[in-house]
Amino acid sequence: MQWRGVRFTVALTLGGVVLALSALAPLLATHDPRAAAPEAQLQPPSREHLFGTDLLGRDVYSRVLYGGRRTFAVALLTVVITLGPGLLVGAAAGATGGWVDGLLMTLMDALLAVPALVLALALLALLGSGSVQIAAAVGIAGIPAYARVTRAAVLEARARPYIEAARAIGARPAGILVRHILPTIAPPLLAFAGVTLSWAILNSAALVFLGFGGDIAAPDWGVMLADGRQAFRTAPWVALAPGVALSLTVLAINWLADGIDRVTRR
Amino acid sequence: MIVPRTVPAAYGAVRECAPDVRAPTSAGHMQFRRGREEAIKHMGIERKRRRAPLRLGVLGVLGVACLLVTAIVVALALGDDDGTAPRRGNRIVYGLTLNPSGFDPHIHQSNELGIPFFSVYDTLVYRHPQTLDFVPGLAERWEMSADGLAWTFYLKQNVHFHDGTPFDASAVATTLDRIMNSSVGSQKARVLLESYTGYEIVDPYTITLRLSQPYAPLLDALSQVYLGIASPAALAATTNNSYQWHQVGTGPYRLVEFVPGQLIRLERNEDYAWGPVFYAPVTDASLETIEFRFYTDPATRSLALESGEVQVVGELLPTDAELLAGNVEVTVYQVPIPGTPQQFFFNTRRAPLDSASIRQALLYGTNRTEIVDAVYQGRSPVAHGPLTSTVMYYDPAVEQMYPFDLNQARSLLAAQGLADTNGDGFLDVDGEPLTLTVVFGPWNQMPEVAQLLQSQWRDLGIRTDLVQVPDFPTLRQRVRDDDYDVIAFYDFGVDPSILNRFYLSGAVNNWSGLSDPQLDQVLYEAVRQSAPEMRQALYSAAQQRIMEQAVVLPIREYVNLVGVSSRLDGVIFSAQGWWPLLRNFQYTG
Repeated sequence: MQWRGVRFTVALTLGGVVLALSALAPLLATHDPRAAAPEAQLQPPSREHLFGTDLLGRDVYSRVLYGGRRTFAVALLTVVITLGPGLLVGAAAGATGGWVDGLLMTLMDALLAVPALVLALALLALLGSGSVQIAAAVGIAGIPAYARVTRAAVLEARARPYIEAARAIGARPAGILVRHILPTIAPPLLAFAGVTLSWAILNSAALVFLGFGGDIAAPDWGVMLADGRQAFRTAPWVALAPGVALSLTVLAINWLADGIDRVTRR
Repeated sequence: MIVPRTVPAAYGAVRECAPDVRAPTSAGHMQFRRGREEAIKHMGIERKRRRAPLRLGVLGVLGVACLLVTAIVVALALGDDDGTAPRRGNRIVYGLTLNPSGFDPHIHQSNELGIPFFSVYDTLVYRHPQTLDFVPGLAERWEMSADGLAWTFYLKQNVHFHDGTPFDASAVATTLDRIMNSSVGSQKARVLLESYTGYEIVDPYTITLRLSQPYAPLLDALSQVYLGIASPAALAATTNNSYQWHQVGTGPYRLVEFVPGQLIRLERNEDYAWGPVFYAPVTDASLETIEFRFYTDPATRSLALESGEVQVVGELLPTDAELLAGNVEVTVYQVPIPGTPQQFFFNTRRAPLDSASIRQALLYGTNRTEIVDAVYQGRSPVAHGPLTSTVMYYDPAVEQMYPFDLNQARSLLAAQGLADTNGDGFLDVDGEPLTLTVVFGPWNQMPEVAQLLQSQWRDLGIRTDLVQVPDFPTLRQRVRDDDYDVIAFYDFGVDPSILNRFYLSGAVNNWSGLSDPQLDQVLYEAVRQSAPEMRQALYSAAQQRIMEQAVVLPIREYVNLVGVSSRLDGVIFSAQGWWPLLRNFQYTG
C-alpha cells in the first residue's frame, strides 16, 4: 500500500511537470521549433541545445516541449471522440437490454475483432492525413472498448439493491440512470478514460510515426521519433528525447488512472 | 489476483461479465440472478479457494503449451533462415531497397528490377560501363540505313536460353511483339522504342527494325534491361502477369527461385559463353548463387551490412555512410546515376508559378549547396541543369545560370509587384500570403529536402504547404488533378533523350506543363540526328532553353551509396549506374 501511495505521488508530480512544460512551451523553449539551421545539424546535447539538434539543425529540446502540446491536444480530442459515443452506446445497451443490447454489442464486438491500430489505419485511408483526422480515427477505434466497459458497469450498477429500491418507489428509468447509476459507474469509467488517454497518445504517435500526421515539419513526438530513427546510430538523442518524453507521459497517466481508481473506490 | 467485478479495467474482465449480462432482463430473471449472486457471496471465500488452483492449473498447462509451440515455431523459422550461416560456394546476399510493383522488365519501369534481372537477360547491344560506347551483346554487329529508318542486327549464333530454347531472330521478334502489344501494358520499354513500327526477319540470324522517323537513341534503348530478350518458350508457358516469377533469358545468371516480397535467387549459367567484352571470365571466386532480399527500411541497411547479413546493399543513409567509413569490413561506393537530377518541377499552368520571374526568383533563392551538404552530407554533386553531368552531351553552361543570390531573388519578386502588405513576414497577392504547395514522396530523403526548401523560401517571404504523398500513384494523381505548384519527380538514363519525356509539349512526364514550340523543335530534331556534334549542339541549346524558362529546380545529382562487404572484389555497375555486373563480382572471403 505504501508503494502505491508513493507511486501516485510520483505520477501526479510527473504528470503535472509534463503538462506544465507543454503548457509553458513558448516561455521555456530556447529556439523556434521549426527553424532549420543546417549548419548546426546533429549536434550533441550542449548548453546551447539542451537535447542536441536534429538532421536539419532544429533544437530538439524546443521541439520536445512543443511536441507535448500537440500530443496532449490530439490525445484529448481523441478521448472526447471516444467518450461521447462510447458512453452513449454502452449506457443504452446496458440500460435497455433486450434486442437493442444484442444489436449494439454485436456491432461493437465486430469492431473489437479488428485491432484498434488497423481500424485506425483503415479510417485514415478514408479521412486523409492530419492531426484532426488522426484524433478522429483513433477516437473511433477506441469506441467499442469504451462502450463495452460502460455497459458492464451499468449492468453491474443496475443489479444493486438501492437501484432496485429506487425503481420500487416509482422512479423513472431516465431518472434512475442519471441520479443513481451514473454516480455509481463514474469512478471506473473515469479510470478507464485515463487508460484511454495514454492509449490515444501512443496510437496517435504511432500513426504520426507512420507518416499520417500531415505536417511533416511539425514538432510532434511521433514525427520526431520517425526522423530520429533514421539518424539513430549517429545521433541517438534525436529519437531518445521524444521517446523518453512519450514513455514518461504514458507511465504517469497510467499510474494516475490507477490511483484515481483506487481512491474513488470507496 | 482478485479482479473486482466493479472495475472491469481490461478486456478480460469485460468478457467475464458477458455471460451473465446476456441473460434476458425481465424481472423474473433479474430476481433469479440476484439470488444466485447472493448465494455466491455467501459461499465467498470457500468457493474461490476451491476454484483458484484449478484455474491456475489450466492456465499453466495452456501457458506451457503456448511456450512449446512458440519455441518450435522459432526453431523452425531459424533453421529455415540460413542467412547468417557460413556461406558455401560463393553465395552472397544482395539487398534490394524497394519492392517495386513488378519485376517484369518488359512491363514495369522500376530501376530496382534491373539489379537482379540485368544479369538474367542479354540485350542486343550493351553500353560499355567505362567508355559508354555501344558494344556487341546478342547482336554481333548492326547497321543503320542511310535514311535512318531501318536498323539491321546480325545476331550471334550458338546462343541458347536458360531453358534450352535456341536464340534466333524469332526470339527477338517475340520480345518486341510482347512489348508493343498494348494489352501487356508496357510502362517503359515501349516508350523507349519511340518511333519503332515493326520488324522484318531477314534470315534466322538477321533482323531489321523499322522506324517511322529517324531515332538516334534506339541503341541506347536496346542496351537497357527493359529490352532484354526473353525465351519465347517461357513466354508461351506463362501469362503476362506470371512471367515475372519465371523469367528466362540468355544472361550469365538464371532465375531459380522467386518468392514475391521475400527472395529472388539467381544461379550461375554455366553455359554462358556469349557475353559482352566487359564481362570477366569465370574464376574460382566468381559468384555461384546470389540471393536478393528486401531492405526497404533505410535505417536497417547499414546494420544488415555490418552484421554480415547482406554483402551488398544500395541506398545507404548518408549519415550511415559516414559511420561505415571507419569500418574495414565494408566499403562504401558512391555510384553516380546518370539521368535527370533529383529535382522539382514548377507548375507553369497555374498562378503564381505561371510567371517566369517568380520561378527564376525561386531558383536564385534556393541554396542548393546547403541542402546537399545537410541532407546528403555533401556526398553528391549539386545539380544545376535538367541533366546530370554524367549524361552524354551535358552542357556545363547551366552551372553559371542561377547562382544562389538572395538579393537577385528578392528584386525579381519585388519587380513582380509582390510585397508584404500586412506585415506578417510573407509576400501577399491580393491580401493573401503567397503560398506554394510542394508535393513529394517519402523516398530519397525528399521530406528533409522539402523542409529545407520551406525554410529557405520563408526567407524570401514565400509560404509553403508541404504535402508528402505515400506512393507514386498518389503523386501521379496530384498531377492529374493539377493540384500542386512544385512537385518532385525524376528518372534515369544515359542518353539525353530522356529530356523529351519531361519537356516536350504534352509529353507524359511533362509535369511542369511547359509548352514551348522552340524547345519542342530542338528536342525533336535532337533525336532525329545521329551525328554526335549535331546532337551535342542541339542538347546544349535544349538544356539552356529549359533553364531560361526556369521550369525545373535541380537539387542534386543522384548518387547511389552502395555498401559492399570487403570480401567482394570486382564490384562494378552498368553504364546506367543502377545495375550491378554480377558476372564480374569476385568473392575473396
